[in-house]
Amino acid sequence: MLTEVAPGDERAPHRARIAGVGRTLPPTRLTTAELMRSTRYRTRIDLERLTGIRERRVATEHDSLGLAVGAARDCLARSGRRAADVELLVSCSITKYRDGTVHWLEPTTAAAVAREIGADRAVTFDIANACAGTLTGVLVANNWVRRGEVRCALVVSGERISGLATNAARHVRSIASRELASLTLGDAGGAVLVERAGEGEPGIALAGFTTVAAHSRLCLAAPARREPGARMSTRARAIHRVAIADTPVLLREALDAAGLAVGDVDHVIPHQTSARAIRTGMREVTAALGAAPREPPVVTVDRYGNTASTTHVVALVEELDAGRLRAGDRVALVALASGLEIGFVIFTVDPRLEACRAVRA
Amino acid sequence: MPSVLESIAVVAGGRWRRSARRLAGVAARRALRQAGLRPDDVDLLVDAGLYHDRLLGEPALAALIQEDIGANPEDPHPGGHGTFSFDVANGACGMLTGLRVADGFLQAGSIDHALVVASDADPGHGMAPAFPFAPVGAALVCGRRAGTGGIAGFRFATGSPAGPTPTATVAFDGRCNRLTVTRPPGADAAAGALAGEVASGLLAEHDLTPGDLDLVAANPLSAGFLGVLADRLGLPPDRVGRPRDGRPAHTAGLAVALQEAAPGLHLGGRTVLLVSGGAGPTAAAALVLP
Repeated sequence: MLTEVAPGDERAPHRARIAGVGRTLPPTRLTTAELMRSTRYRTRIDLERLTGIRERRVATEHDSLGLAVGAARDCLARSGRRAADVELLVSCSITKYRDGTVHWLEPTTAAAVAREIGADRAVTFDIANACAGTLTGVLVANNWVRRGEVRCALVVSGERISGLATNAARHVRSIASRELASLTLGDAGGAVLVERAGEGEPGIALAGFTTVAAHSRLCLAAPARREPGARMSTRARAIHRVAIADTPVLLREALDAAGLAVGDVDHVIPHQTSARAIRTGMREVTAALGAAPREPPVVTVDRYGNTASTTHVVALVEELDAGRLRAGDRVALVALASGLEIGFVIFTVDPRLEACRAVRA
Repeated sequence: MPSVLESIAVVAGGRWRRSARRLAGVAARRALRQAGLRPDDVDLLVDAGLYHDRLLGEPALAALIQEDIGANPEDPHPGGHGTFSFDVANGACGMLTGLRVADGFLQAGSIDHALVVASDADPGHGMAPAFPFAPVGAALVCGRRAGTGGIAGFRFATGSPAGPTPTATVAFDGRCNRLTVTRPPGADAAAGALAGEVASGLLAEHDLTPGDLDLVAANPLSAGFLGVLADRLGLPPDRVGRPRDGRPAHTAGLAVALQEAAPGLHLGGRTVLLVSGGAGPTAAAALVLP
């Protein structure tokens, strides 16, 4: 697993902290019952029972860029930073829609976000790493901040990805369909501000990732051939099996690298695919590691569905706003994505991050 | 401990011309062989190509390439090593972006070897009837070594969007999704001007002038870009590269230029400027010291 060197190493002398988070949630809600009523075929699938997803948000007025820009502005406002402070801006979404479903490959979404928010001096580029994109961006930002290359980095993602569900609703015939997972998707924007930690601030203890590429073809998405937008083929059960088998091994490696035990973690925020998969996965991790984090895993998939690369940020904002993340709490963000990408960002909430929720309250 | 470029490979067309994934994979294997490394030695694999097979959006193409070349593809196990793969996108500046990301992890001591690949090809399925770029794949192996020299620094900038700039979009035309690439007149010149500014700034940071450079590798290899870049650096046009006729390489173009200027990456104690400019406009430069 690729991880950062331990704090104090002269090659990466600084510590980075999560300085702010922000999100955009489109106001329009689509219930699972409504979505399943829209399927072309009579599927007899109880998707809500299978996944725990009651509803998701769908963007009717925002595209991917608008969702990312909204989240970036929310993040800056909550953290009290100006766009001019941002020296690195990375956009990490799978979807790059502007003007409806026009997918932009060039110029980058990051440059467009920087322009919209006024981050004129930021280095900009896009990262693509499926649903692990945002945490991959945090990994890179952590590296740049720790080495002193930048002091302030903004990682953004806007996912207008519910169009895959619209397309899947025309094709899913049964529970065995490889497009079933597309029906879990929802729209959201997310942004994370990573900056150099102040003296004594705990910050990010570990960011680590690996790619189990033997399973790289379990989930593939590309523009649809005869429909607007894209389609995705997922072998969800196979992915779940690999995740159950590999995550404990890698989590143990990550915790060892950070000098932590699983009991030192207060909150786990996994990638949000299905409530049932999250709870099963956590039971397996607990059994394999012989201990559990202090709190049950955070679940937001019931309200927002799988918002792809923004799930962790959507959940972080939810937990901060609800007052469930307090200064001193240690949080483990767990990425699981097509590739197969497995990664972790473990950090401690500091008083300044806890106060981020006060902006909206 | 600075990062160093250990090997380079460029694969143009041939029987892999219809697949960006295969072009990158073949280039990656060649570059690793030249560096005397096994695929399992790769800690980080960054793909900077844009025009993938079917314009695949997920997973990262880098993950497929990792599996293709056999770089630690298996499930994690005690004593295992692991490879982390993902894609970056920054148009013609993609390869320098990947190099900068890799350099960060190399300098921090997080990894020993990185593989930066870039490739583009017609995505097929009738999506791009007039695909404007040559099918080219490239790979750079990077490592680190004690002492001085190697990659000394980077500089990137995003310019004002007011002028002409290339675009690439995928949209549904009523029958199917089509890729449209535009390269408006004046776009290469605008990118060249920004690239010249970025390169001059980077050289100044290191108390160097363009006259101190032994070798310049630039992308894109178009007359419009290279002419303005040379002008801004105050160098004769033939010092920054030879413009190509026909369909140019895109994200792999920097490796094409570097391979041509220094075959086999034998830099021989020379001071090298790598510089790119593209859509946005965005420009990027890296300085390699002896």
